[in-house]
Amino acid sequence: MIDESLLNRLIEEMSSKGAEYAEARYHSIVRTSIIVLNGMVIGVGKEVKEGIALRAVAEGGLGFASSTSLNTEDALAAARRAVMAAKTSAKIRRNPVRMGSARLGRAKYSVVEREPLDDVSLDDKVKSLIEEYKALQLEKNGFKVSSLTLHYAESMETKVVVTSDGAHVESRVPRVVVFYNIAASNGGKQANRFFELGGSGGYEVYRGFNLAKQIQDDIESLYIALTRAGSPPKGWMDVIVSPELVGLIVHESAGHPSEADRVLGREAAQAGMSFRSYYKEERIGSEHVTVVDDPTIPGSLGFYLYDDEGVAARERVLYDHGRLAELLHNRETASVYGVESNAAARAMDYESEPIIRMANTYMKPGDYSFEELVEDVKHGVYIKKYMEWNIDDVRWGQRYVGLEAYIIENGELKQPVTNVVLETTTKNFYSSIDAVGKDLKFYAGICGKGEPAQGVPVWMGGPHVRLRNVYIG
Amino acid sequence: MDIHSLAEQAAKIVSKYAGEYIVKITRTDDLMAKYARGESTVTQSWSTIDVEVYAAKNQRILVTSYSTTTPERALEELPRLIEALQPSPLYAPLPQANGEPLSFVDEKVREVVLSGDARKQVEELALEEAGDVAGKVEFALKKVVLVGSNGADYSYEATHFNGYVRVFQEKSSGQWSWTSSSYEPSLARKALEQAVELASLCSRLPKKSIEPGRYRVLLSPMVAGNLVEHLAMAASAGSIIFGFSFLQARKPGDKVASEELTVLDKPRDTSLPGFTGFDDEGIATKDKPIVEKGVLKTILHNTKTARVLGGETTGNAGWITPHPYNIEVQPGDHTLDELIEALGTGVYITNNWYTRFQNYLEGRFSTVSRDAVILYENKKPVACTERIRIADSMPNLFSSIEAIGRETWQIEWWEVTVPTRIPHILVKDVGLSRPT
Repeated sequence: MIDESLLNRLIEEMSSKGAEYAEARYHSIVRTSIIVLNGMVIGVGKEVKEGIALRAVAEGGLGFASSTSLNTEDALAAARRAVMAAKTSAKIRRNPVRMGSARLGRAKYSVVEREPLDDVSLDDKVKSLIEEYKALQLEKNGFKVSSLTLHYAESMETKVVVTSDGAHVESRVPRVVVFYNIAASNGGKQANRFFELGGSGGYEVYRGFNLAKQIQDDIESLYIALTRAGSPPKGWMDVIVSPELVGLIVHESAGHPSEADRVLGREAAQAGMSFRSYYKEERIGSEHVTVVDDPTIPGSLGFYLYDDEGVAARERVLYDHGRLAELLHNRETASVYGVESNAAARAMDYESEPIIRMANTYMKPGDYSFEELVEDVKHGVYIKKYMEWNIDDVRWGQRYVGLEAYIIENGELKQPVTNVVLETTTKNFYSSIDAVGKDLKFYAGICGKGEPAQGVPVWMGGPHVRLRNVYIG
Repeated sequence: MDIHSLAEQAAKIVSKYAGEYIVKITRTDDLMAKYARGESTVTQSWSTIDVEVYAAKNQRILVTSYSTTTPERALEELPRLIEALQPSPLYAPLPQANGEPLSFVDEKVREVVLSGDARKQVEELALEEAGDVAGKVEFALKKVVLVGSNGADYSYEATHFNGYVRVFQEKSSGQWSWTSSSYEPSLARKALEQAVELASLCSRLPKKSIEPGRYRVLLSPMVAGNLVEHLAMAASAGSIIFGFSFLQARKPGDKVASEELTVLDKPRDTSLPGFTGFDDEGIATKDKPIVEKGVLKTILHNTKTARVLGGETTGNAGWITPHPYNIEVQPGDHTLDELIEALGTGVYITNNWYTRFQNYLEGRFSTVSRDAVILYENKKPVACTERIRIADSMPNLFSSIEAIGRETWQIEWWEVTVPTRIPHILVKDVGLSRPT
């Protein structure tokens, strides 16, 4: 932990060197990870990432500096570097950077661990992962799981954010995530399933994963894909998309294009821009489509109450009944647009500048049951699980490839198919939705952006949705 | 701060609890200017110390990483962590260290980084003169110390100058990158020229869609660099063991690509910034082919993966997963004009991103183009197309290489994370798709 008077001193140092705005963040992440391969512990990892991040606006330029050392002298040197960096930026800056006014916090919060992570021994955590593996059925009729890698990671993120205009926010967020990769074969054919689970809280989050059940379900998907699934259909048809895929799609084609820094071009050479920079229409989808991003969902992987500029968080409506709505803002972009920041500034760690990020992005549920969505499809396909996906750098053309999918005939699920390709545009996807399920589910992910690249934890979610007459092939 | 003393101090603590250990400390000083819309968006400056520790006791493996200048307290919990473990199936004794350290420091880069002031260089490069330009320029100085129970006691220093630029002209764009161990402004200027030329060409040409199908494709060094990095990573024994490699069923001696293709891992080439004379186990690195004339020659190993899969360490540790350091694709005989002549009617893809696998084991993937995609008919550029995808399999793509260019480029950016020296590559029958 840090002596908070040091952060105030760093603010003073940056101000005295010419900073019009100064921000100091103590940021610590302590992470323990366990890697299990085929039921055996490969190793345990421990990571402590702790240091100070500083930002300054000077002469209209923006500078960032970080220091591993918490020693006063080293930290003060970093403060001076931040101001120098800002002045370097100012040399090639036409429009001065401004930090808009915002609802700044003076607050302290933490996520409660109902079962504190430190109360469960590492030994018990290791044993639990091995027990989960032992419970799995790995072979069936010539089908075989050739390798199964489990990666468990628990972390505690502690931050203190102080700004020269009055924010002071302390936070403490524990998280638990599990990644796994299943490699399976049947005869000469092979396939993978990679998946991630995650949430904020204590060890109860891990217990809630029902890991063995979850993995067994994915093994079954691979079994189907490698033994029974037919070739994918091609042509125009109705498509039911699962919550797993809807979550990913809204993250990629509603969340990312709504990041104001992309819209303004700040990430143009890295994560790209946004169709919202030039798209002139008001409508992007049908009236059934409402997509929001909300950092305040309890237990979520992207949870926070104040962002890394000290601004109070709230739900942001990105697509509102099919219409383009809010952008995600930090204080810099909010000032350009003449609005207040809606608290989207996040930094991965103390070596990272806060940039605009999603937290928990999801499509609002409707009122259809899964059966009601299916029963009205004459000829179509249901995409349940996917592996491959990507989207272009303006978040318009996108591709998703189903691992487990089913033909729908006359309102009934029929034979399984695999490698079903949905390659469409953002407008086509959202405009084709004619019904939305009531079964909202969330999925965990790490979202990448920035330079150097920053990966931050997020949730992505949605219900089942039905698309009318889209091209599969 | 003397990081060698810090390493010895950490080693002393670890040696109390672990029979075998390696301590690696990296001090990085880094300065990066970032651009968009022809102006600077932020300049960033880092001073970072990472303390990484590998410890093994009774065949149990622990890997830790601390960004701290005072690791003592953190290291005190080592015994609690290590006692909770079970013997690792990956365990192998640390080999006797035999590192052959290499250093390369460009004094100009060092001076810029340590002063924290890149104003002069940023003004000299004048990237903003290209108009609507985005990108980054980075200067870094790194010092690494490695000490271990296996006799390792090595250190080296390295400098790094790299960046990339994306230029927009009307609705077209071009992007290119550079990387080097030295401050070579000419590399940045050449990258800028390439980006301007591609953006300019597409802004003059008409726009035309192409139908999904198989095409002869010319891959720029940016695109080829991304795909070859996936090939090199698939040759890591870690990727094979953890089920992420399309080379899983292959062994050295198998044909995995067209005979035109030779891919080298070159850790001892100090002109590329990924160089090192010793790996994370203290073993001497060596330059070697991963693929030679289309034949798989080397699976990249550390001591552990070599024991599991059979073979010997190739000096590519990674304590858990081996990795390449600098990648080089051996140049061919063809000028760019000759490659375009051979392309005839086809597609020149100049940049890509978001490469994702449907099936790691069979190598089925797609990747999305960005920036200029130029359609050629009868050797002439006739149009530029919208964003398309390469949707194919890695084995198919590498087996379909027809020709390799003569001129190489040093590439490193978001989608090419290992410094790579690579020419243009011509491939036939590449699957291309687009949204419907």
